[in-house]
Amino acid sequence: MKAGRFPLLYPTAGFAALLFVLGAMWYAASSQNSPAVYLLLFGLTAVFLVSIPHTLLNLADVTIAPESAKPAFAGEEVSLPVEIMNCSRATRRGIELFLPGRGHERKHVDYIAAGKAARVTLRFPAEQRGEHRIGTFRLTSIYPLGFVRVLKRFTSSQTYMVYPKPSGDPRLPVHRARSPHSRPQTELAEGDDFAGVRAYVSGESQRHIDWRAVARGQPLMTKQFAAEAEGSVHLDFSALRFHGVEEGLSQLALWVIEAERVRRPYSLRLPNTEIAPAVGEAHFHRCLRALSLFSAREAA
Amino acid sequence: MSRSSRRIQPWRDTAIPRRPLLWLAAALLFTLPPMFGNLASWVPFLFLLALAMKFWMEPKGYRLRSTILKLILAALTLGAIFLSYDTLKGIEPWVSLLAILVSLKILEAHTAREFQVMVMMAWVLCLCGFLISQDLAIAFCLFVAFALLIAALVQFHRGSSPGAFWLPLATTFKLLAQAAPLVVLLFLMFPRINISFLFRIGDPHPAMTGFSDRLSPGGIAALGTSTAIAFRAEFPDRRTGPTGPMYWRGLVMWHCEGMEWRAPYSPTSNSDSSHGYPASDKAVRQRITIAPHGARWMFALDRPFGISSGTKLARGNYLYSVQPIRKARRYEVVSSTEPIGRELDAYERREALQLPASISPAVRELAASLAAHDSEPRATVTRALQFFRTQGFHYSLSPGEYNKNDLEEFLFHRRTGFCEHYAASFATLMRLAGIPARVVVGYLGGEYNDLGGFFLVRQADTHAWCEVWIPENGWTRIDPTTAVAPDRASQDLSSFLAGRVASGEMATGRSSFVTQLARLALVNQIKSLWEALNYQWDTRVLGFDADVQDVLLTSLGLTNSGPLPLVMQVLIVIAALLIIYAGWMQLRTRPRADRIQALYERFCQKLARIGVQRDPCEGPSDFAKRAAQSLPNESERVRQITGRYIALRYAPGSDVSSLHKFAREVNAFTAHRQ
Repeated sequence: MKAGRFPLLYPTAGFAALLFVLGAMWYAASSQNSPAVYLLLFGLTAVFLVSIPHTLLNLADVTIAPESAKPAFAGEEVSLPVEIMNCSRATRRGIELFLPGRGHERKHVDYIAAGKAARVTLRFPAEQRGEHRIGTFRLTSIYPLGFVRVLKRFTSSQTYMVYPKPSGDPRLPVHRARSPHSRPQTELAEGDDFAGVRAYVSGESQRHIDWRAVARGQPLMTKQFAAEAEGSVHLDFSALRFHGVEEGLSQLALWVIEAERVRRPYSLRLPNTEIAPAVGEAHFHRCLRALSLFSAREAA
Repeated sequence: MSRSSRRIQPWRDTAIPRRPLLWLAAALLFTLPPMFGNLASWVPFLFLLALAMKFWMEPKGYRLRSTILKLILAALTLGAIFLSYDTLKGIEPWVSLLAILVSLKILEAHTAREFQVMVMMAWVLCLCGFLISQDLAIAFCLFVAFALLIAALVQFHRGSSPGAFWLPLATTFKLLAQAAPLVVLLFLMFPRINISFLFRIGDPHPAMTGFSDRLSPGGIAALGTSTAIAFRAEFPDRRTGPTGPMYWRGLVMWHCEGMEWRAPYSPTSNSDSSHGYPASDKAVRQRITIAPHGARWMFALDRPFGISSGTKLARGNYLYSVQPIRKARRYEVVSSTEPIGRELDAYERREALQLPASISPAVRELAASLAAHDSEPRATVTRALQFFRTQGFHYSLSPGEYNKNDLEEFLFHRRTGFCEHYAASFATLMRLAGIPARVVVGYLGGEYNDLGGFFLVRQADTHAWCEVWIPENGWTRIDPTTAVAPDRASQDLSSFLAGRVASGEMATGRSSFVTQLARLALVNQIKSLWEALNYQWDTRVLGFDADVQDVLLTSLGLTNSGPLPLVMQVLIVIAALLIIYAGWMQLRTRPRADRIQALYERFCQKLARIGVQRDPCEGPSDFAKRAAQSLPNESERVRQITGRYIALRYAPGSDVSSLHKFAREVNAFTAHRQ
């Protein structure tokens, strides 16, 4: 990944303390005219000065590669795995990675051996629905003495999705008018027949996680149950009786999750998008993506 | 790039990491030696206790939490320090206070941020150690502490990296080794800009140091171990000092009280300064940098006559300053190596023969016997010296207590003394024998510093000798100490004493075991090595203060344009050094270029120059086919180079020779547009 042109170097809080100590030494040396204290003063100064190139080069040939972040629902947490690669022939130590403006989490890596990589996961709150750019990573280090900090910036054009926060009525809508041939449907929160598992999507209810599989060391999976009632659900934005756009999108997101969970085919209709009924993970993400990218102004 | 699982820690500020704490504790232990013996003894013990407590408390998560308790402890400390020292002025109480505050901080600290504060405080403790003592052994401990603190910081920032001992030490040594040239440069060249005038702490008038205007028995012996600098002397007209022993005249004492002598309360100017300039081969010009001693006397080789402004020549031919010497001062003086003045006026004669009433009959009898045979003063002097030489007198730094009436005790019973005992008793005997005599106090010898080209004279070199009036010669220097210890005049005191101890002639209050040990060859070698190191430390480091630096810079011609350009020059050199370091480190750690890939890219560039561009997603063999088609003449070579490239790149076990062949082929490849 392309880094900023030059690594920046700036003093840390430890530097202020060092200046204070050096000042005290200078004062003592000159008031006592004591060469021994001067030796100590110059020793500390010289070690500090020598530590500058060490710190500066501690990030030389260190680069990062962000992996793709999984979509998250608004209000949840985005986790962004990043690979920090040390391409140099020396061990790099005390490396910190953070994304300014996205949470205050700093990931600290104690060391990366020559030619190796470390993987860290940055977590930050997903705030607004939509597609967001990751922005600029900051990679810093204060090794070895902590008096100066070197900063390397990596600008990424990569994006991550934030789906609308699911909320509202979890009961799926009933469509008497649209499906005249079918009987009036009873509300089905969930079916009884186990229909398989699929990957857990953060934000879903945790009631259906296959905990036994988790105990076996497998990733989080959601158990799916086939509903008794058949027929597809039509999720239509214009049919909603909400005033706010965001409220409507939240309700639709919740229904998408519910319908997917009970494996009922669902279609989504937004003022400028129409997704045919289907079920499955790809369809699920396609619908949620459409919801997060929905813009009321565009629609109008 | 292979991925390996690294330990990734969350932001750590809940506890002090253990390994750096161990390093810090080791460093703090090394700051202790100067405290023992120089501070109230409870201070270092409390410090040790706090350190031990920390290691007990830290795993349990205990720490000093209550602010009230902290304040109470701080107040108690302050009170205890006041009780121990009776004052809060001076360096020792403040260093004690700081040491105790550091102990409290150790007990209180519990976060990583505080760890750095503790390291800083430990550096200040190093500074305090140097303020208390500048002995080489102490300095050695303090520099070990200094290095351990760097290791502690390195370890702190290494986190959980593997290698807890040698690897952080190696990094520390690397830093120190790279810093060493900078330290030398800064130490020698960086102007010693004095910032102490900005805010002044403590007494602006330092206490009197060195000898006083009263020569009491044991007074000079007490200075015998002081390494404080009295003054520095250069001889601008010659490379080294004058031949023969260097007697630096300080103060002339006229008033005799037996074993105790006293200088006049206020020096009177020399009325007898009308004599002419001595022959140039007898004149010695000196440039002297005097350390502040609080009194008014100044030093010059025996005997000064040419003086600079602000100084006067007192009766008795010694220099004194119009103002008390409270800061370092430099002056030039010319001395004559031959006696000056041939007249002794009646007033001076009376002064030089004054005697106390309380002289015992035995002493009077001795003086009479010395003078009895004839009235020739020279013969009397010789007999008196002979008396000291033959009657079993000992020269010792610790001669025991005498008071001013113990002349008889000294001359007939104990017969052990330091220079002031010999000078005082000899001069008194001379007066009893009717020869005008006086005591001169000053310095004898000095160590030559070849770096600065000067003689360094320390308080330990303080010496007392006599002058007697010989009618045809004038005031003549007689050093009775040389009758007892003939080598003393040719050496400075420390080397003289070292020689005496080594040869077993003199025991300086040590047990016989230590003396025996001192005779062992290995111990002696170690000892002489240590002495040599000590000498280097004293002359090269401790001797290199602002004045010496000034001499060095002037001789290099660097002081012409003030300190600022010099600072700039030093900074430029340092910046250049740092750039060299950075470049060197970058070269050593830069990833190795893939030579095969680079050669192949060069080959592609050559082809591109004649119009066959490789598409980024085109495989080498596809590209070779296309290139061979558009360059039928070169098709064989293109195929050959590409084949070799693929073999080197993807076939297992490719060797160096085929890489060389590949390089040769790529370099030789030239194609022309067809």
